[in-house]
Amino acid sequence: MLIYVCEDSLEGIFTGIYRAYEEKRDPLDTALSLTDDPVLFAEKTAVEPDGTRAFKVGRTLRRRFGEDDYLRLCQALAAEDERKAQAVYRTVARGLETNCRPGHLFDSLADDNVQTAFSLARGAGREIGHLQGFVRFQELKDRILYAVIGPKNNVLTFLMPHFADRLPGENFVLFDRERNLFGVHPAYREWYLFQGETEEPVLCPTKEEERYRELFRAFIRGIEIQERRNPQLQAKLLPRHFREYMTEFQNAGGQKSAK
Amino acid sequence: MQYVTVDGERRSLSEKLLILSDAAKYDVACTSSGVERRGNGRDMGNCVAAGICHSFSGDGRCISLLKILMTNECVYDCKYCRNRSTSDIPRATFTPEEICTLTMEFYRRNYIEGLFLSSGILRNPDYTMELLFRTLWLLRNRYRFNGYIHVKAIPGADPELIGKTGYLADRMSVNLELPTAEGLRTLAPSKHRKNILTPMRRIQNGIQANRNDLVLYRSAPRFVSGGQSTQMIVGATPESDWQIMNVAESLYRKFDLKRVFYSAFVNVTGDSALPALPGGPPLLREHRLYQADWLLRFYGFRASELLDEKHPFFNVLLDPKEDWAIRNLGQFPVEINRAPLEQLLRVPGIGVNSARRIVAARRSAALTFSDLKKIGVVLKRALYFITCGGRMLYPVKLEEDYIVRNLTDRRDRVRFGSDGMTYRQMSLFDDGVFSRPVRPVEQAQDAVGQL
Repeated sequence: MLIYVCEDSLEGIFTGIYRAYEEKRDPLDTALSLTDDPVLFAEKTAVEPDGTRAFKVGRTLRRRFGEDDYLRLCQALAAEDERKAQAVYRTVARGLETNCRPGHLFDSLADDNVQTAFSLARGAGREIGHLQGFVRFQELKDRILYAVIGPKNNVLTFLMPHFADRLPGENFVLFDRERNLFGVHPAYREWYLFQGETEEPVLCPTKEEERYRELFRAFIRGIEIQERRNPQLQAKLLPRHFREYMTEFQNAGGQKSAK
Repeated sequence: MQYVTVDGERRSLSEKLLILSDAAKYDVACTSSGVERRGNGRDMGNCVAAGICHSFSGDGRCISLLKILMTNECVYDCKYCRNRSTSDIPRATFTPEEICTLTMEFYRRNYIEGLFLSSGILRNPDYTMELLFRTLWLLRNRYRFNGYIHVKAIPGADPELIGKTGYLADRMSVNLELPTAEGLRTLAPSKHRKNILTPMRRIQNGIQANRNDLVLYRSAPRFVSGGQSTQMIVGATPESDWQIMNVAESLYRKFDLKRVFYSAFVNVTGDSALPALPGGPPLLREHRLYQADWLLRFYGFRASELLDEKHPFFNVLLDPKEDWAIRNLGQFPVEINRAPLEQLLRVPGIGVNSARRIVAARRSAALTFSDLKKIGVVLKRALYFITCGGRMLYPVKLEEDYIVRNLTDRRDRVRFGSDGMTYRQMSLFDDGVFSRPVRPVEQAQDAVGQL
């Protein structure tokens, strides 16, 4: 058994897959791992992430499995889970071996690895779906929109295209507090990511900002039907860990409200 | 920011928002789905076909659109409505500019997915529709908003005006209000069934004609691209679920609606013609109607299969699909590895997604029960109705009583038992004094049978 130890990134894992195919390994006797945990009777090789190789793998996957399934694979790799490298590798190996048609990579859910990759992708996909709605921008001076998120999975890369498409004329910044990662979109230009410094930036919201927050809170209060009150259902649909960053659950001072 | 209302009162924007969102909250048709429109790279906004929920209110309902009324002044006196002309509530009216600013500023901050604009009838239907049109026109052309807009068509307004508004909106709706013409006559004397169905038919024809245009000219302007919807109030008038489902079915068939919404009646006016609801709004009934609605739209059921004249109401303890399955046990068990998709869809515990996944996954391997669990089938409910490779999960009696007992929620059964009706055998000492508390083991036996 040979284990490729990869860096925890799309590039790292794709390079690992490239190496496994370059060296013509048998997928059943090969594994990709993100950690250096000891395994009995296994040989280990460290994999240096490599942009060109990762790009080639990405291109092949996209061509063979179609745009949707490629996106799913990427989402699976965005999940915060150690099994993801191995699951994606085996899923890809199976797909290439059985020569599956585009859009059918995740059909064979009876396979454990495919199932794992699928459920990781689904988890990350759900969080992306949630955050598309739950992100709250605030306006800073110079009309910059700024939002903080604390996602469980590394989903910033997937959120940026959505907001760039939606707000093309806005300068906005999305900050992933968990990973200290910034997504920046200058108005009418391409967005990019950068790794932040250790300190969080100090914000100075505009005067109008507090007014719109208060208006939104008034709206949320107004829209609730008292006779149907159901906080349990609300907590199920809008899990509490999102609320820390959401305007309607903060008091006027920006503090988290008791509710 | 100030605006003079009819009675000369001045209200701030936040006061108006509070009044007019409060007045709009009983309208439930507020999803943002049905349209996929990428941003154009210049204006603000795009649309996502699945819809996006931006928040959830304390009652657990999705907040997707800025749901407001243009005004809560109304010339009508519908007995169920809070904004009826005789009701003594604070009144307010937005100016079109105020609505546009609110929408744009909320949208920028990702508070909302778009605008849901309805209105009370100010002066007359034409005047009100004109106001709605002007607001939408401003929002699309001056403020250059490219997001989702849902607007109400006012019954009785000039068809041309409704048509023009339709080109600016993504979804339009006309509320049916009450399921039958009779109910409408008693509770909303100034509204007529005919006036409601006429604009609905017009919008349908408009969408159809627009579809033909789009085949010829790809860049033709789109008319109500997200389709139209409607809503019915449930529980204000004595209609049965069977009647409501039949109305819904014929709306889907004949009027080509995207959605029919059901709104559990909340008595806000206290009118003597309305039922008092001491137990709160009929939420379970609303829930069952939505479940059945899904069965009609995605599972290939017909209303006549779910209910009939003899069973005009849905079962309280079982959902409509379970209820149907129990009454048609002859069609079960279904073999997972063989049955066609339509048959899988009819099994309780298997949804549209799981059914599709089963059909895809069984091509490469024979599925077992543990695979089904991973795929997302709710085995707790499905196990009485399916076989994998000719075997059931464990030996199960294919018998109505047995399955119903196991399907119903344990909590319901405890409630069932508390009024003296139980399935346990009577004993000589059965007067409560000598009874010992039920042990957990026995509870489990109650739940899964003697195993």
